[in-house]
Amino acid sequence: MQKVGIVEVAQSAGTESSLSLMEFTYKPVKEVLDKVGMKRDEVDTYILASTDVFHSGMSCANAFDWDAAGAFMKPASREEGDAITAFVYGCMRIMSGEHDTALVVGLIKGSENPENDTLTSFVADPFYSRPVGIQETTAAAMQMRLYLQRYGITEEQCAKVVAKNLGNALFNPYAHIKKRVSVDDVLNSERICDPLKALECAPKSEGVCAMLLASEEKAKKLTDKPVWFKGWGSSMDTFYLGDRDLLDTQLKTAAASAYKMAGVSDPRKEIDVAEICEPYAFQELLWCEQLGFCAQGQGGKLIDSGVTQITGALPVNPSGGVLAMNPYVARGLYRVAEGALQIKGKAGEHQLDKKVNTALAHSTYGFCGQWQGVVILGS
Amino acid sequence: MVEQKEKPRKVASMGLVPYEMALGPTWTKFFEGFKEKKILGTKCNKCGRVLVPARPFCPRCFEPMEEWVEVAQEGTIVTWSYVNYTYFGVTPDMIPVIAATIKLDGVDCAMGMSTRIGGFDIKDFDLVTKKVKVGARVKSVWRRNRQGNFRDIDYWKIIE
Amino acid sequence: MGRAVAVIGTGQTKHGRRDDLSYPDLVRQAVKAVFEDAGITPKDVDGVVYGSMPSMMEGVAYNHFYFADALQVVGKPLLRTETCGSTGQSVAHTAIHWIASGMADIVLAVASEKENEGDAQATMMTILEPFLLVVIGGAPVAFSLQSREWMGYYHIDDDKAREAASIVSVDSHDGGLANPFAHIRVKLSKEDITSAPIITYPVRFYDVCPISDGACAVLFASEEKAKKICKKPAWVKGMGFRGEEYFIGDSNKAVWQSTIEASKEAYKQAGITNPLKELDVAEVYNPFSYQELMFLECLGLCPPGEAPDYVIKGTFSPGGELPCDPSGGVLCTNPIGAAGLIRVAEAALQVTGKAGEHQVEGAKLALSHAMGGAEQFNGITILGSEL
Repeated sequence: MQKVGIVEVAQSAGTESSLSLMEFTYKPVKEVLDKVGMKRDEVDTYILASTDVFHSGMSCANAFDWDAAGAFMKPASREEGDAITAFVYGCMRIMSGEHDTALVVGLIKGSENPENDTLTSFVADPFYSRPVGIQETTAAAMQMRLYLQRYGITEEQCAKVVAKNLGNALFNPYAHIKKRVSVDDVLNSERICDPLKALECAPKSEGVCAMLLASEEKAKKLTDKPVWFKGWGSSMDTFYLGDRDLLDTQLKTAAASAYKMAGVSDPRKEIDVAEICEPYAFQELLWCEQLGFCAQGQGGKLIDSGVTQITGALPVNPSGGVLAMNPYVARGLYRVAEGALQIKGKAGEHQLDKKVNTALAHSTYGFCGQWQGVVILGS
Repeated sequence: MVEQKEKPRKVASMGLVPYEMALGPTWTKFFEGFKEKKILGTKCNKCGRVLVPARPFCPRCFEPMEEWVEVAQEGTIVTWSYVNYTYFGVTPDMIPVIAATIKLDGVDCAMGMSTRIGGFDIKDFDLVTKKVKVGARVKSVWRRNRQGNFRDIDYWKIIE
Repeated sequence: MGRAVAVIGTGQTKHGRRDDLSYPDLVRQAVKAVFEDAGITPKDVDGVVYGSMPSMMEGVAYNHFYFADALQVVGKPLLRTETCGSTGQSVAHTAIHWIASGMADIVLAVASEKENEGDAQATMMTILEPFLLVVIGGAPVAFSLQSREWMGYYHIDDDKAREAASIVSVDSHDGGLANPFAHIRVKLSKEDITSAPIITYPVRFYDVCPISDGACAVLFASEEKAKKICKKPAWVKGMGFRGEEYFIGDSNKAVWQSTIEASKEAYKQAGITNPLKELDVAEVYNPFSYQELMFLECLGLCPPGEAPDYVIKGTFSPGGELPCDPSGGVLCTNPIGAAGLIRVAEAALQVTGKAGEHQVEGAKLALSHAMGGAEQFNGITILGSEL
């Protein structure tokens, strides 16, 4: 199979912007093209990922987003949903041999939307789930309670995720939330949906992430440090919460596929850095288990051990993760970008001290992580 | 599967979701022009095209469009359509409407869809088909109290 | 273009007003049908691509979550593709690229819509931002504006365009009568069409698609798998997709570049140099009869400005040189998100001889097409009976 490399990435900051979505999207796309020294027209194909109503005030987002993504009169398409799928689709287009270069962009302006909970209440079906008030936060709260009870994970351990990630975010110029919080701050924050506390829930952020992908030959010409697409896995769970074991998620299946494709047999040892989606703090611990970074039920012990700190053996979310910046739907592509930057040695102030050869990028959305995706990148 | 003997049941539900969308500097400036009865376009340094509404960048050249020009208030009808039906959000008192795209003199694209033809009894369909033609010349008619939005241009009148 | 890909099965629901089914059940019907057609089971599928119009149309966000069971995608990867009206074509393209990349051997593509559960027009109005393209008229006004722009550009008089559009409508409705899945199945005369109420002049009631509920599923497979599993695969010969600018006045919509370039790319991949001669059938996206005339030209099926002449002399009618929309097209059936994929399914049925009453005799090479946005996007997939 044709190898695909990430040549260059560009990100927008997560803080509220007064630019129109069109202006806001244009900047990182132009930045990537300029960095690579390519004209818009010279890129073979474009894949966008964005969202229609509800997570944006417009529908058929391909219409409005097309110009700013650079896709005018180019072979292109659009994914609705997390932008990690745009990355994967861009890779597919190059792997098929049809295209040599692909520009992939995920975009959203969270500041233009109402609260995430308002929007995700529409994910709930109108007959059974919506009347009961199920939305992403209430669903996650139920998942958290189960997690705490089944494995004895403590609220302190969950709070440590927030302290770690927001602390890391202080060194990420693009992060939305930049403030140092202590475990006590988190535990004392309002119990908005017990056991979830306010500081344990991701904000709603802006975010445009653009990336240029290329075939092996082309990538080597365009950059001296291409980051290789090594593997991908994705899996869907069933819809009704009662039909699922909320702690035995499809992330296991997604990770297994990704590891198989990338030839990873011992993730805990072979992954140098992981950027994972943790819109609710406890989920970072759960996802670490499902990704095989530790045994089932040991997520609390994992964060206690310090392994996932930025100085640890397997840093998780050195960028600050989704708790620091939550551009819903673009966030998965940000994870890939951050992984790539770490491998390239270009993550600036939050660059890891050790050499990064293998990065894992994870994305999830839907109730209790109904959709899961994992991408493995390598040097 | 269960067999249905009576009329199928449905659940009615209405969703109301508020959004606040940023105009951004380019369109803010464009609409400030409307307050002063000015139509502003932007010019691309690469291809030289002047586009209205003003744009932050040229969609084809992908370069920022930073040169602003005031464009003419007159133009030509590229196409028009007579709208005479309702749907959610449009009530019978809002129609009929003559939608049009208009190519203003000196502009390299047509202004589409938000423009309407008016200035005569548009309920008289025969009169409409006589007056409104592709290629007809039109001129802007501004509202007296302008807010800096697209409604500031009340309608475009046919110049005979 | 990487390894070859084929359609190994199709499934459709009976399209129309389906108050008798919940939306997930509607999707499930199409999925069930495609597995029956292909003779394989969900176990054999490596991934699923799903698409529909923005799901605000039915009041449920990210409805691929809701359809996890109906799509039989639990435990598998899912991608959701959306490009407005051309979604069905883009869904097919995602599935095809997935297989061509080597990362999957069998992919299920599903697209659906249940417009009667929401207000389709209200959703479509939100395609436009609320500052600049403030408009009354919705989708019909966009198409009417374009029709008149085209008539003006080529100096086609109203009567001639009206005559040709009426023939398109008559032919499409006849197709609907011969297609058991079609929504609208009525016999219409030219008089019925020209005397129908005006929607957005010159477009009248029978020039316009219905509001449909429906789902379509298509199974794609790699060359190796297709040859093993399927007696008569419908091979993907070419694809094309282009989008123009967001602002509708930026590009000439009479000389419709996105259609022209997308079709050129598809023909190039398929090795077609004379589409009118080489294609046996064309499933052209035709929610508006007038618009089909423009598509015929911009798809390179007749010279620019001459579509009415070709239509009037019967080139694209049943029995003509290149029958168009023998299924009844979008004019008879328009669950919007699914409409583009239905064109792919119909093209597959034609080249595999499975189109029953609306079969075009001896069809071997078929074009499928869909348009999205306010005249902004065009996607094409060409299928053939030979690899």
